[in-house]
Amino acid sequence: MRSIIALATITFKEGIRNRSLFGIALLALFLFGLNVTVAGFFMRDVGKVTVDMNLSALSFAGLLLIFFVGVNLMAKDIDRKTIHLVLSKPISRSQYIWGKYFGIQLFVSASLLILFICSCLTVGLLLNLYPNYFIGFSWMTFILACFFVLVKFSVLTAIVVFFSSITSNSLITLIFSLSSYVAGEAIEEVVFYLKSEFAAQEKMISESLQNFIDIVSYLIPNFAVFNFTLEAAHGLAIPSQRVFLSLGYGAIYIVMLLILASFIFSRREFN
Amino acid sequence: MPRLFSLLILLVSVFIYSSIFHDVWESRKQVRTDIPAGYTIPSKFSRILSLGHQGILSDFLFLKVATFIGGKSGAGEILNEDDWQFVIQSLNVNTDLDPYFVDPYVLAEGVLAWDAGKPEEANQLLKKGMEYRTWDWRLPFFIGFNNFYFLKDYEEASSYIMRAAELSGSPAYLKTLGARLAYYGGKSKTALLFLEEMLAEASDPLLKKRLEVRLVALERAVLIEEALDKFKIQEGRAPKKISELVSTGYLIVLPPDPYGGKWGILKNGRVFSTSKLANAPQKKATKKEPTSQ
Repeated sequence: MRSIIALATITFKEGIRNRSLFGIALLALFLFGLNVTVAGFFMRDVGKVTVDMNLSALSFAGLLLIFFVGVNLMAKDIDRKTIHLVLSKPISRSQYIWGKYFGIQLFVSASLLILFICSCLTVGLLLNLYPNYFIGFSWMTFILACFFVLVKFSVLTAIVVFFSSITSNSLITLIFSLSSYVAGEAIEEVVFYLKSEFAAQEKMISESLQNFIDIVSYLIPNFAVFNFTLEAAHGLAIPSQRVFLSLGYGAIYIVMLLILASFIFSRREFN
Repeated sequence: MPRLFSLLILLVSVFIYSSIFHDVWESRKQVRTDIPAGYTIPSKFSRILSLGHQGILSDFLFLKVATFIGGKSGAGEILNEDDWQFVIQSLNVNTDLDPYFVDPYVLAEGVLAWDAGKPEEANQLLKKGMEYRTWDWRLPFFIGFNNFYFLKDYEEASSYIMRAAELSGSPAYLKTLGARLAYYGGKSKTALLFLEEMLAEASDPLLKKRLEVRLVALERAVLIEEALDKFKIQEGRAPKKISELVSTGYLIVLPPDPYGGKWGILKNGRVFSTSKLANAPQKKATKKEPTSQ
């Protein structure tokens, strides 16, 4: 356990030192500033637009963090062969995987926390500027939606760690993780569309394709599960059962993926 | 020397860039005005392509539609059928992406019902909104208004106004309005009540200005209608000409129609204006005149 914590701390520090962090933070700040400007263009649902823009900015910044910093944190050791140095220490390969995962996760959480505070300031500012247009707004739902952005990225980090354990090239990890992300975000819409009556009437979907989509929906995570933007934007009630189900779904997926990654990584040979 | 040369090239490039910059934007402007209407990706695709960001996509799409209408109106152009189809399609996709977003519904009411003369299409969108925004009294109110003012279906109008009145936050007069609608139907005074509410709700300056002119016109129509009613009760007959109301003292002066038309009385005793209470280019938008029974 101690070695996992040590490795996580090192990975976290390494991530924080990355220069691209400033660029991403600047981008997020720009998006929040844009939000303040754009909100005035709308007739009445200013609250909804604000929440949409804030959550999307958080999401976008998180994606950049994982794909530009997270992927490198994982792949650098293997790319630069420093992994031999790490593995010569009394640390097992699965501990290495878990340590790296928690390190990246800590780094992403800390960065998102700072962005979240900026985001709250933006929302607070707009709330004061347009108090009449935030009728349905609830801080609780907004904070919950922001928290689930983090949960989504925890799953994505696990995906990055998983692919890093298979390949030794950071570009391939990036491409695989990005594809999984895109597929994970879209899968729910595709599955429900194929099941809809409209698609059945068109009869354009072959049975083998249907089966293929079914299998894919088991393999990749459904990121829509973690999306509470609609509820946050309109202050709709979220049943607690859904919150726990989403959390459980995310947690179990992460555990499965990391155990698999540990298996693969333990059997891997480094040149 | 090479440094000087590079500097020279840079200066020339900057010069060329600044001279063509304006032309590039002008040509884009031309391209944008020449395009009859945009195309909106159907929601079954855009929901997938948005990758979980349906909310922000719907915001963007809404701005696009609002800018499209605003740009055309600002340039004094009248939107043609293709343009309106684009607006309807976009608003449909917009509300598919986020069915709780209220701005598209308000825009649909403001432009589809009033400007495009498509109250049925507006109603269709508003009914979709009612399925989701179950707490919002404005949506059934708008449907009721469209049925009353544009479609002249007083029974339907009354039932929607009653539904609006039941929701919390609705103005107190809606309760009596629903009942009055069912009874009186097409009195201009009922239209006036509706319009005052629409005006209080409108925040778009263009729409607000139009509604204000219409409000003045309706107030004057109500004034004439009331004089007409008084005349009928006291004289026991309908006046032959509208000017008779002035000559007999029921009206001090005949108020001018802000749309430039002339007031008259139909054979069945209703007040109408030759302008049909619409500006010349917007004839299609507002066909119906307030009438009295």
